[in-house]
Amino acid sequence: MQSLGRLHGILIYAFLYLPMAVLILGSFNASKYGIGWDGFTLDWYASLGKDIEILAAARNSLAVAALSATLATVIGTLGAVGLQRYRFRGRKFLMGLLFVTLMSPDIVMAVSLLVLFLGLRLELGLFTLWLAHTSFCLPFVIFTVHARLQGFDSALIEAARDLGAGEGTAVRRILLPLALPAIAAGWLMSFTLSLDDAVVSFFVTGPDFEVLPLRIYSMVRLGVKPEVNALASLLFAVSLVFVVLAQWLLRKERE
Amino acid sequence: MMRRRLAAFAFAAFLAPLSAGQRELRFFNWSDYLPPAVLENFTRETGIQVHYATYDSNEAMYAKVKLLGGGYDLVVPSTYMIDRMRKQGLLYPLDRSLLPHFGNLDPRHLDRPFDPGNRYSVPYLWGTTGIGVNAERFDPASLQAWADLWQPRFRRALLLPNDMREVFHMAMLVLGLPVNSTDPAHIEAAYRKLRELMPNVRLFSSDAPQILFITGEVDAGMIWNGVAYLAAREAPAIRFVQAAEGPLLWMDNLAILKNAENPNEAHALIDYLLRPEVARLISESVGYATPNAAAVALLPPAVRNDPVIHPPPGIIERGEYQVDLGEAIGLYTEYWERLKAGQ
Amino acid sequence: MTPKPEVFRAVAIGLLSGWLLLFVLTPNLLVAGVSVLSRNPAGFAGAPATLDNYRRLADPIYLHVFAESFTTALVATLLCLLLGYPFAYGLARTRPRLRPLLLTLVIVPFWTNSLVRIYAIRGLLAAKGAVNSLLLAAGLIDQPVRLLYTQAAEIIGLVYVLLPFMVLPLYGSLEKLDPRLLEAAQDLGAGPFRRFRRVVLPLTLPGIVAGCLLVFLPALGLFYVGDVLGGSRHLLIGNLLKDQFLEAQDWPFGAAASLVLIALLLAFLALYAVAEKRVAATNDDE
Repeated sequence: MQSLGRLHGILIYAFLYLPMAVLILGSFNASKYGIGWDGFTLDWYASLGKDIEILAAARNSLAVAALSATLATVIGTLGAVGLQRYRFRGRKFLMGLLFVTLMSPDIVMAVSLLVLFLGLRLELGLFTLWLAHTSFCLPFVIFTVHARLQGFDSALIEAARDLGAGEGTAVRRILLPLALPAIAAGWLMSFTLSLDDAVVSFFVTGPDFEVLPLRIYSMVRLGVKPEVNALASLLFAVSLVFVVLAQWLLRKERE
Repeated sequence: MMRRRLAAFAFAAFLAPLSAGQRELRFFNWSDYLPPAVLENFTRETGIQVHYATYDSNEAMYAKVKLLGGGYDLVVPSTYMIDRMRKQGLLYPLDRSLLPHFGNLDPRHLDRPFDPGNRYSVPYLWGTTGIGVNAERFDPASLQAWADLWQPRFRRALLLPNDMREVFHMAMLVLGLPVNSTDPAHIEAAYRKLRELMPNVRLFSSDAPQILFITGEVDAGMIWNGVAYLAAREAPAIRFVQAAEGPLLWMDNLAILKNAENPNEAHALIDYLLRPEVARLISESVGYATPNAAAVALLPPAVRNDPVIHPPPGIIERGEYQVDLGEAIGLYTEYWERLKAGQ
Repeated sequence: MTPKPEVFRAVAIGLLSGWLLLFVLTPNLLVAGVSVLSRNPAGFAGAPATLDNYRRLADPIYLHVFAESFTTALVATLLCLLLGYPFAYGLARTRPRLRPLLLTLVIVPFWTNSLVRIYAIRGLLAAKGAVNSLLLAAGLIDQPVRLLYTQAAEIIGLVYVLLPFMVLPLYGSLEKLDPRLLEAAQDLGAGPFRRFRRVVLPLTLPGIVAGCLLVFLPALGLFYVGDVLGGSRHLLIGNLLKDQFLEAQDWPFGAAASLVLIALLLAFLALYAVAEKRVAATNDDE
């Protein structure tokens, strides 16, 4: 039974990483369309290095993703605790709005947010991207944290409060540690969603702030840009190193 | 060197807005439709800083430009979108005195119905849509007309572009109807005709169609000439056939927006792009034909005389560009949806 | 002096409500407003006010599109749950020190643009792709199988794109499951199936619900997977809305379709909530 579970786990990881293997292979493949193996090359990396615009777009996208994921996680975690702990008027309504966010089709959200931002006279760019991305990430954080907190015995918090802890302190000391895995999961999902969004970004950004997905969309669709594979492999390698390093540092700190 | 350039770039990006007095220009173009070197040279020569942003469909560009009402100076719409935008007063009348290189353009591409007299637009790149066929699977000699695609031997073998206008354009040609018809009866007839084609359609896709031909996913279908050229280089069995009913023509055109803040700088860039050597570089790097006759003359003979990229005389004259459909676009979309939903 | 309890409460609820009212409610009210206007090619939407946009949605073609989108999204969600639940369960049972790493590794591939990965999958499933080559080499087939541009390819793509959004919330619920509960149930003589149904499932139900929502609802709007792997021969709600807003420039109709979609789903969710309460009530009676 245990080994069956492990096999399932390995297969799922394989399923998730298989396309990455294809991309990495393709990034070293001299064949322009990745049809058959035409020999090893580093050309795609070299020409990627010359494309200053796409590197800038990648940097912009990472900034937007990190900012949006963080803000969505802060508001979302506080919100999830609020929705879990308190019964107040309009609670169901807020839940409803979260569902609405989750099911709003890209194009509708994109156009309506653009109209809103124009109405608010906001300058289109990093700031408007941040607002828009935080909005569509929020439900992912809230539902994940909320699910984690369900069934939590609030008597623990009441006990802490009886001992003189403030509400904020009690939540921070008791609820937050409990919710931490879900909070981390929420941040990861938000970061991912933000990095991947093309439609909303296209509409709410300005002429001076290009993000990556739109560029990538067109490059893939033209099919003549193996640099995309190089870029994807590079970002993938960087994130792997980053993740393993973070894990290692965390472990060191604990020891 | 590379590092220094990168650092300088990062610095400049965070320094926006630029200091006053700096001449600048906001260029909204299709993705990967211009080699970066062209803009770098332009800036070096004129001192005009170009902010380059990209889009991937006419409709998305139009929606954004129209909602914003400003922000961009120069755009590159296709023919029908030039037509719509000029009719809606979104474009800035060109000042020919600022475009001394305009005369380089091939007159066959000028003064077409989508912009009579080219008051608002300057042709940038163009192409034709014809029939693509894999000679290993079907004899190209047996496939000479759009109407042949309806033959039962192509069951589940065809590629059509995922583009409503192109597909209806082709159907109108087959039926001998005006290709830009807004008559509901014509549109319905085209829809009925296309419904009969559906069993032969393997997929709709406009994304890198050459790959689908090269990998053998499809054996025949509608294909752009530039794409057919690329495919034939990888797999010589892939042939491009000029359809008997005539080709579909498309062209993307430079145009300045009505609310442009920098119309003079936009004119300067348009004229720069009209220089023969620049137009040649763009055409060679992007892979589509240039309407710039002076630039064509600079191309190597093998490319200049390639019948796929530069069709022989008489072909262009038989083709038509798409124009704006006005209200009828709603009806087209509805039939397109019916077609796909299988109703 | 400790702050009053109201301060934390006010901040937590105030921040969320402020955000949702400004960035979700307001844009949706705009959409609602547009949905009762008429199509106006010169300006996206205009007078006169009308309900025709809603009436048009009763056309069988749009019902068909809605039904097809719902089934596709539902099948993808169920598959994600079937694959994701045991996977998340396994993750939550590994050594605690490894868990953050394994969890992050689930999502790392998703930091690569999804369209790029979908194209990679297309390459794998192609007539001359890796899957066919393997099957040919193994002698299981003697002619390449047409895997692409089928409903199956479309579903595989959807599951691939959405799986982590099922796994992560599930993991959140499963990880806090106290193994002692299971041991206790075992000591009381419950078999594995009974233990799962009576202990694990109820305790992780919130995670299941959250995961299904995070997969099902976005799946309805995802159309590029169908376009790339399914050959764009079907029309999903996402295609419909994109066509109406961009191609047809019929914002009022697009807005109406979007609102009806949202209303339908909210109705389903409300029904579900009622049913859940009923079930909870009967369970309590037992």
